[in-house]
Formats: sequence, C-alpha cells, structure tokens
Amino acid sequence: MDPKRPPFPGPPGVTRMPWMPSAGDQGPSPDQPSLGRARGLVLPKDEPLPGRSRVPGEVPVRFGSAITVRQPAVGVSRGVRLPTDAGGFGRARGFLLPGFGMGRGAPVGPVPTPDIKKADVREKRPVLQTEVTPAIAQIAAPGPGSSLMSMFRGLGIEPGKTWGRGATPVGRGAAGDLGTDVQSADRSDSEREESGLEESFSFLGRGFVGVGRAALPHIGVGRGRLARRAPFLPLRPRSLKKHRFLQERPRKLKEPLQKTGTKGSPVSIGSNYIPICCKNEAVFQYHVTFTPNIESLSMRFGMMKEHRSTTGEVVAFDGSILYLPKRLEEVVHLKAERKTDNQEIDIKIQLTKILPPSSDLCIPFYNVVLRRVMKLLGLKLVGRNHYDPNAVVILGKHRLQVWPGYSTSIKHTDGGLYLVVDVSHKVLRNDSVLDVMNLIYQGSRESFQTSARRSLWARSPSRRYNNRISTVIDDIEWSKSPKDTFTLADGTVTTFVDYYRKNYGIAVKELDQPLLIHRPKERSRPGGKVMTGEILLLPELSFMTGIPEKMRKDFRAMRVQIRSDRTSTWGAEQHTRSLKQLLHNINSSNEALSELGRWGLGVSQEILVTQGRTLPNETICLHSASFISDASGVDWSRGGSRPLYQHLLRFSCICLLLALGQVPLNCWAVFYPRRATDQAEELVTTFTKVAGPMGIKIERPIRSGAHGTIVTETFIKSIHSQLTSEALIPRLSTFGPSLSQRQKLQSIGRQKILLQINCKLGGELWTGERLLWVTFQMPLRGDNQQLQGLSADGPVKYYAAISRRRSRLHFPEKIVIYRDGVSDGQPKTVELYDPQVLKCFETIPTTIRLAFIVVQKRISTTLYSCGSDQFARPRRNRPGPHRYQQRLVGVQEPLQSD
Amino acid sequence: MATPFSPPLYMQRYQFVIDYVKTYRPKKVIDFGCAECCLLKKLKFHRNGVQLLVGVDINSVVLLKRMHTLAPLISDYLQPSDGPLTIELYQGSVTEREPCTRGFDLVTCVELIEHLELVEVASFSEVVFGYMAPGAVIVSTPNAEFNPLLPGLRGFRNHDHKFEWTRAEFQTWAHQVCRDYGYSVQFTGVGEAAVHWRAVGFCTQIAVFQRNFHETMSNAKRMEPSVYKLIYKVVYPSLSDNNIYQRTLVNEVLYEAQHLRQEWFRRMNMGSNNNAHFCAPPLMDVLQHGVEGGTRDWRPVYQQGGTICVPLTCVWSSPRVRALCGSVQRLREELLVDSRVRMSPDGAVLNLPAEEEEEEEKVVVEEEEEDVKAVSAVANNVEEDWDGELGS
Repeated sequence: MDPKRPPFPGPPGVTRMPWMPSAGDQGPSPDQPSLGRARGLVLPKDEPLPGRSRVPGEVPVRFGSAITVRQPAVGVSRGVRLPTDAGGFGRARGFLLPGFGMGRGAPVGPVPTPDIKKADVREKRPVLQTEVTPAIAQIAAPGPGSSLMSMFRGLGIEPGKTWGRGATPVGRGAAGDLGTDVQSADRSDSEREESGLEESFSFLGRGFVGVGRAALPHIGVGRGRLARRAPFLPLRPRSLKKHRFLQERPRKLKEPLQKTGTKGSPVSIGSNYIPICCKNEAVFQYHVTFTPNIESLSMRFGMMKEHRSTTGEVVAFDGSILYLPKRLEEVVHLKAERKTDNQEIDIKIQLTKILPPSSDLCIPFYNVVLRRVMKLLGLKLVGRNHYDPNAVVILGKHRLQVWPGYSTSIKHTDGGLYLVVDVSHKVLRNDSVLDVMNLIYQGSRESFQTSARRSLWARSPSRRYNNRISTVIDDIEWSKSPKDTFTLADGTVTTFVDYYRKNYGIAVKELDQPLLIHRPKERSRPGGKVMTGEILLLPELSFMTGIPEKMRKDFRAMRVQIRSDRTSTWGAEQHTRSLKQLLHNINSSNEALSELGRWGLGVSQEILVTQGRTLPNETICLHSASFISDASGVDWSRGGSRPLYQHLLRFSCICLLLALGQVPLNCWAVFYPRRATDQAEELVTTFTKVAGPMGIKIERPIRSGAHGTIVTETFIKSIHSQLTSEALIPRLSTFGPSLSQRQKLQSIGRQKILLQINCKLGGELWTGERLLWVTFQMPLRGDNQQLQGLSADGPVKYYAAISRRRSRLHFPEKIVIYRDGVSDGQPKTVELYDPQVLKCFETIPTTIRLAFIVVQKRISTTLYSCGSDQFARPRRNRPGPHRYQQRLVGVQEPLQSD
Repeated sequence: MATPFSPPLYMQRYQFVIDYVKTYRPKKVIDFGCAECCLLKKLKFHRNGVQLLVGVDINSVVLLKRMHTLAPLISDYLQPSDGPLTIELYQGSVTEREPCTRGFDLVTCVELIEHLELVEVASFSEVVFGYMAPGAVIVSTPNAEFNPLLPGLRGFRNHDHKFEWTRAEFQTWAHQVCRDYGYSVQFTGVGEAAVHWRAVGFCTQIAVFQRNFHETMSNAKRMEPSVYKLIYKVVYPSLSDNNIYQRTLVNEVLYEAQHLRQEWFRRMNMGSNNNAHFCAPPLMDVLQHGVEGGTRDWRPVYQQGGTICVPLTCVWSSPRVRALCGSVQRLREELLVDSRVRMSPDGAVLNLPAEEEEEEEKVVVEEEEEDVKAVSAVANNVEEDWDGELGS
C-alpha cells in the first residue's frame, strides 16, 4: 500500500466514489460504463447543464496520466435517497467536472464547449492558491485535522506551475472530502496568509458546531461551497498515479450554509468530545463470496480465520463483508475445506471500496475496539456502560454502592471522529429482591402483595450469576416457587433449584419465594426464531439496582456524600477531571494503545475546546406582561436558580398574569376510581378556584367514578380507545399520588395540571416576541396514527398554528420548529418526513425565517464554559443537565420562503 | 456430527470434573488446554473451596478473546465470597516445564492428549507426572472403540486429532505412567452407549490418577512464570482479604444501626409520648439473646444528649452481621479499631448522631422539586401514564 495515499475523511451518508486506476495501472475496470450511466440516471431533471454530466459515465475517460473513472454502484443507490432537489443538483455538478478536467488535461474525450468560459475563470486563481495551501497544512496539524497535512502531502500539492493540467477533477474530489477545512483555503485566496490562519482556527470552532449536532448528518447541511471551489486546488498530473482512489460526493450547489451564526458574544466551550486521530490511510472493504455457498455464519468465520496469514490478525468480518486495515490484491482467491464433507470451498475476496478511516461504516467495529479497550483498563460492563469496580463508593448506611464509570461511543462529525465520553454512575444495592420483599412484609403484612408489586414493578435487578441488568420486573408470580419446573432451550425440564445448582453452583436457600416475571417484547432473533414467553427470575438471586424509593427523599444528602467523594456528574470541574483521567488511563496503558493501534486509532489526551456564542435573551410574553428572560433567572440547570418552566409558573400564578389564549373548558369529564373520589373532588374544586384568576372559563365536569378500588387496565384502555376512536378528544391523566401531596404543593400541582389542560386544548401560556415555537412529536403509541402537533403555546397541528397566525394578519418573523422525542434510530425518518412541514410555508406570502430543531431523547453531549464551573450560555447548544436533558441535534438552514 | 448424548458430552465431561472437585476439594487446580475457558468458568461458579484456578492453552488468541468471561461479576463485588479465589491464564505448552505449575492439587487435561503427537505424549507424561507431580490428574480422551457407533463419522472425531486410542491402548499408557512416576489410576468415562452396545465402553474414556507418595512442595511460594506467558490474572474480592472484610462488616453494622435508629424515631413520632423511650424488645430477639448471654445485657436503642445509642447486642441480632463474625467479642474488637464507627469506650454501644431535624429540612426542598418533575412528566408522557397508573 502506498503510504502516501491520502486518507479520505468525509461526512457520513455521502457518496464516495473511488477513482479507480486504469487498466494499465492496476487491474481492469470492467464495469465502468454501465455504472456511470446508472449514476447519470439519478439526476434526471435538475441538471443545470444537461447532457454534460453524463459524459464521464458513458465515455471511458482517459487522462494524460491514464486515469479512468470508475464509480461503484454503491454510490448510486445512495444518491437516489437524497431527498432534496438540491442534492441532485450538486451531484450533477460534480459529474461534469471530470469531463471538464479531462478536456483540459489531454484532448482525449469529448470536450463540451460551454465549459471553456468557466475554465478561464478558474485559471486566474492558481497563484494565490498555491500560496495558501502550505499554511493550511501547518495549521491543521494539531487537533482533529492532523490527517489533513498528510492528505495535502499525499495529494502532492505543490506550489506553482502545473495548475490546470488534467488533474483538476482529482483535486476536486479530494478537496471535497476535506469538508470544512478547505473553506479556509478558499477564502484566503483573496486575503493574506494570516487571515487564512485565522480562518483555520475558526474551522476548529465550526468543526465543533458540527459536533454538537453530531447525529444529524441527514438534514442536509449545505457544504456546497467546498465542492464548488475545491477544484481550484492545483495538482500535478504526475501525482495522480499515486492516488488511484479518490472520492467524490454529491454537493449542494446552493449558497453554503454558514454553520456558525453571528449573533451573540463568543465564548469558549469545553465539551465531552475527544478527537480521535486515524493514523491509517484508509480502511479497505471487501466482499467475500463462498462458492459453493455456505449458509452457516460460524463456518464462514472459521474459514476466514484459517486465512489469517493472508488477511492479518486485524479483521472485522460480518459473514460477507470484510474490513481490513491493509490492502489486498484486487481479487483474492482462497481455498478452504468444509469439515463436514471435505468439500473444497472457494473464497473470493474482492475489494469493493476504499473507505476513509473515519467512515461511518467503520464506526461499529471501532466501537467494538473501544469496548475492548475499556475492559483492558479494568472497567466492567454493566448494562451499556463501563464502570470501575475499584473506585466504588460504598454508602454503608443504605447498603448501597455507587460505581463510577463512563459511557463511551465513537461518533462521526464534521470534524472527523470523536470519542464521546460521559460520566455515568451506577447505583447497585447489596439487597436482594428477596431482602426487599422481606422488608415490605415487615412493614405491611396485610397489603403485602400489592405493595410488593408496586415497589418492585418496573425495577431492573441485576443477577447473582451474570452481569445483565436489562430485564425489568413486570409482575410477581405468587403461585410459583423455585421448586417448580421450567423447560430449557434444548427441551429438558428442570426445576429452578436444580438449574442454579448445576450451572452456577448456587444453592437456593429460600424455597418458598415467589418468582419475578419479566415479559420481554416479542422480537425475532437473527436466526428468525421468535422469542416469546415470560422470563422468571428468583428474587433471592436478583439484586436491586437504582436508588431505593425510600431513599429518594434522602437523596440530596446522599448526593452530597457522593460529591464529596469526587464522583459527581454535576460540576464541570469534576466532569472534566474524570474525563481526563480516562484519557490518561487510555494513553498510559500499552495494551489499550496497541488495541487501538490495530486499527490505527489514537485518542487525544485533551478534550475538545471550541467556540460558542452567548445569545441575547429572548423576550417572553405572557397574557398581559412580558419580561426578558434574563440569564440568571432562567436557567435550565437544576443546580442554579429555578428552571424556566417553574419560573413561568410562578409568574403566571403569583402575579396573576393571564395566559395568552385561553380556551374555555366547557365540557369535560373526570374519570377516577371510587377510592379517589375525594381527591377528584378536590381537584375539581381547585380547578374552579384557580381558573378564574388565570382567565380560563371552566364549567362543572362530568364525573364518573369507576367501580372497585383500583383502576384496572381494561378500564383505562376502554376510556382511551373510546376517546381516540370516536373523535380525537384531548385527554390527560395524572397519578393519584402526585395529587395527594402536601397541602402547599397541592395547589401548585393542580394549577399546573390546569395549565396542561389548557395547552392541550390549544391555549397558549406564553410566547416569544416575533417568535413562534412549534413542536411536534410522533404519537408515542401506534394506535394514534395522526401526527400530532404540539406547540409550546398550544397543542395544535402545526399548520393550524400557522394558519391561526395568518388569520390575525400577523406573522412571526421566525418560526422555530422543535422536533422532540427522536430516538437514536429515528433521525432517518425525521429526515424523510418532517420536511413536509416546509410545504405549508409555500402558501404564506411572507418572509419567515425558519429553524428546524431536532431533539433526541438521549443526550451524550455535555458542554461547559471553559475554565469556570458554570455552564456556558448559548442556549442553542446548551442542554440542561437533568431529566429535561435534550439534545440539540441540528438546525436546518433558515428558510426563505416567498 | 450429531451426538445423541443429553446433556451434551462436553457438558458431561465438565460435570465429571466438577463432581470430582466437589468430592475431593482440591485448593489449586490447573486446566491444560482450557481454550474457551468453559471448564474454568464452571469451576469458578461452583468454587467448592478452590483457591487458585489456572488455565493453560497454547493458543493465546482464544485466551485473549475469552479471558474476560472469567472476570468477577457485579455480585462478587456486592457480596464478596468467603474464600479467596485467584484465576490465572497462561499461554504455554504442556510439554514445557514451568516451575510455577508445580505443587497443584489437581491437573485436568480434558480432551487434550489426542491433539498431541505421540512423541509429545511421552514428554507430556514426563512434565505432568514427573515434573509437576500434582496430587491428582484427570485425563480424558476419545474412545476409538466407540467411533463406529457415531453416525456419519469417518476417521477421527476432530480433524486436529493425531490419534484416538482404544481402551486397551489408553490403559497401557496409563499403567506405564503409574509405574514410572508413582501414581495409581482408575478408569471410568462419560457417554454410555445403548444397552446392547455397552461392550464398547464409554464414548469418552477418563483416567483419574492419584499420587501415591506424599508431596513436599505444596506450600511452595508462588513465583513468576519463567516459561509460560501470563495472559490474564484476576483476584476475586473475598472476605479473606482483611480490608474487604472490615469494610463489609462495618457497612452491615452501620446499615443495621441506621435501621434501628430510624425504627426508634418512627416509634417516637408515632407514640408522641414518653413511653416510646423504652420499648420492649421483640420476642425473637429476646429468645436469641437468651441463648447468647442472658437478657440482662439487653437494652433498647436510647437517646443520650445529642447522640442515639444503639447497643451492640441489637446490631448483633442481624443475621448478616452474625454470618460475618462468629461472636460478639469478635464484632466488638473489629468495630473498636475502625474509625468509621463511633463506639462507647467499653464497646457496648454504638453512637449515632441525632441530626434528624437537619435532614428533615432537606427533604422538604427535595420533595418540592420532585413534585414539579412528576407533574411535568405527566405532560410529557400523557399517553404512557395510562399504563403508568396501573401499578398503583
């Protein structure tokens, strides 16, 4: 492998098309024309210059230095998925370039005439350009872009002369992959070198912005500029021989999106992202075929294992796709023997792709490597995260252990690969579920079963005999005991006692305990076998996890204690310290380093520090007053002053300010179990009392007490389905216990419920000046097929929210669409379907700035202002640190609608 | 090939070793050719008094891959076991002399020797029986006479097998070993054929060797391996480690004391009159302590100034504390030297601070926040709450 071959970092989800060598150079490129054509078909209409884009596809192009173009089919399929027109457009553009360069290089292929004009324009630039490139190489050396330098070197960029010889397309392809980096080069060509320097530094910042939105490569962020200007990079044609594989990706031709905003004052931000540098030049993807075909995966693995001498020890193989850090021949044929019948099997390993080491496709096995590294550091995998059993904080008073640890993952962002580390703590208890049951029994003998069920329900115990924690207690089986039998996977029937004694040498002491039931969701295993049925656990062999109910009240005291042991997640100081400790551990362990080194990975010693901005405060309007949401008063963080929602509540309740758009509550019903009649009555009374001052008209509700003392599942289900099937009637349910809190809290709680109801009916509590917030979320359950819009100021379908505005002849200047509750697997769906919203703006004859915010359910990004213990201000990028943690995934470009 | 054995034959072999360990309770066990470490894992679970478990395999890749399965579980940290356990994995060959493999109580070679060339078998015998000279050796190997009964089998059972012995061949070798190195042997096996085929013997034949002479170096100090390469070593947390013991004991005592204190507070608040100061001990405790040393020592929890006093005898009634230390005297001694526990000078009473009021204050603040969270949760997950209600 050529050590100077450039690495190809690039954002994910974008087509990569290696430029394959010509026949004379290495291997044939047989499927060239057809693939090229296929690709041309992807962009049928949006081409600005029709016809030309197909040129490279249909005609096998030859450059002076004998370069041919081959585009693997993979690129095509991806291309099709691109939803926006712009994508196709950019692609078309990308296409014509090879043709264009070729025309200039050597007159081999047909040269479309319209090109010439542009070519001239470009020709003016070279001198400036060459000045700048070395500067970039220097700047990029530290930090995440260290591969940058080698890339430039690899590309053979040299000052001067040979600009404009057939090499152009190559320069383009590579530079396009550079992503943001090239921007700096691009701008500075009209400036001096220093400015180029500055730009490059700010690139770091920009790279970070990308980081913050890591999971949103999908919502197409324009990177058009790079693509457009990149061809200006000069290359000597000779260098082409070295770089047989170059990639190209579709680009938007649109004016590029500036990812960094301008408003607010800059602030430097620390994060929990750690740059990962990829020392390898590339990762090679191969397709492995077995003839005759072998179905059994394990047999495939075994056969590949026998050829370690060919593939090397560092392998990632999933049964048909093989990733190696080293390059094999184009096609490798290996022989293996099937042990069962001595049949000779032919294994064909064909190179399909050359990936940049930071490719998305590599991340799964990088994460495997990472997990191995964590194990090597002596951390234990509990659930998803790794914890350190040697740094355990024991709270003897509560018979409880807090294990400090980390959740880690590798993510791909604009700036390359990052290790995302979060500090995590696992609370483990020294009590078995049986102990807890005994305690409950002592506490309440008469209602033992009910209260045991209540306090154990939805708990996930850890087990005595393995490290799994994922199973959740759904119920308790009172009629069974460990003496009962169950059927093993191989069909033998055994008792629980025997099973544990035989397999784990555990003697079950209490033979009359009930069993815990876990009902797993029905799902099919990879083999196609459907997993059904209940899982039964022994209380004696299950340890409780999580903070015990009784202790929640004492939680603050406990937190203080934990904090004093320096394991707190709350302060940025401790957070960074423990992050740095991990980095230190990784970098000082030879085993860990060599494990990472197998794939050429290296983890930086330092966390990523970048630039953010503090935004000016937004004015928040209530019914009859408005206030500036000053930074000190409104703080999402729990450690600081009151969170915003609480602040608002105080405001609306204490100052008797009225909500903006109240909806009269004319007809409503309360359903409750008989047992809670008093509570329901009280609730209604409070409602009537509070509603007046809040400006909400309220009628007496229809009250319906259910028979029996406990609300049964069927009861709730039936109400639920009635309300949804007949008509979509808004509903709200609440916990009995939260109503029967102390006197002082009661009224506040109920007022909040009333505000909730008001919101559900379309009322608004507050609004921003010139700002409309629209949030919408997918229904949580499948039974409610309607996409429900839920805006911060009223639960309406989003278009309704907008049309209502229109009827008042008052348009907001900005609309923020807040897409909440996106789980990790959903961004794709969001990307595909949510932009439908944009359609409705077409009808509005005004200029509205639109931001589309996608918020993930789970958060792993933590930001804090550098050097101090406080969280940084820019709210756009600043997640709250408690259960309202939400993750800002991405902001779509402002929409200009006209 | 499908073997008609249930449980599978390999499980039966492991079970054989486990049963042996259960009966003879060797302290130090070494498993040659441990490969996926399945046997070690099982032995680790069953313990049976094993204190040192060593696995040796020539293939370090498989060891590296599987070694973490031998790591302690969460529960091993939560409730440390009584006896110590150390697990070590080495890369090495059975034909090499490694000083640190001497002095073991049991050596197991499950389905190992048939993977050696016949020449190597000789040096294997020399190393294992002559050099290492363990108390007992379990050797298992396929019984070639059984092979005709295995459906669809041609040649050896595994492509890596260098030979497969008949019972006679195996026994000849075993008796020779016994003569050379002073062992006695018994033959058995696992995997019996159907009744009318019984004559062919077991599918896997097993020889259990016992050393005839008394061994002298079993107490030799553990040394660094000089020939083998250490791949993995883990020391399980156990109560035989004094630090862990002390920590576990103190935690249990504190928990129990805290529990008693809270109980006392509850009674105080409930009764709200003075008779709660002196509540009668539960009948059970009286009975237990009657056995221990008479009820005259028994005093309930009481308050003295700013401290809550919990008599040691109350704490002693906890079964967990009892299990940890055999007598009250020992408990007292252990606690007197520990700085985390405040004791009266004579060691009869534990002193706990009575700072309940302060904590009460905190609880109020916390509850308020909790409440806000609860209601907001209703807002966020309206749909889910339908089910959430069900539990209550």
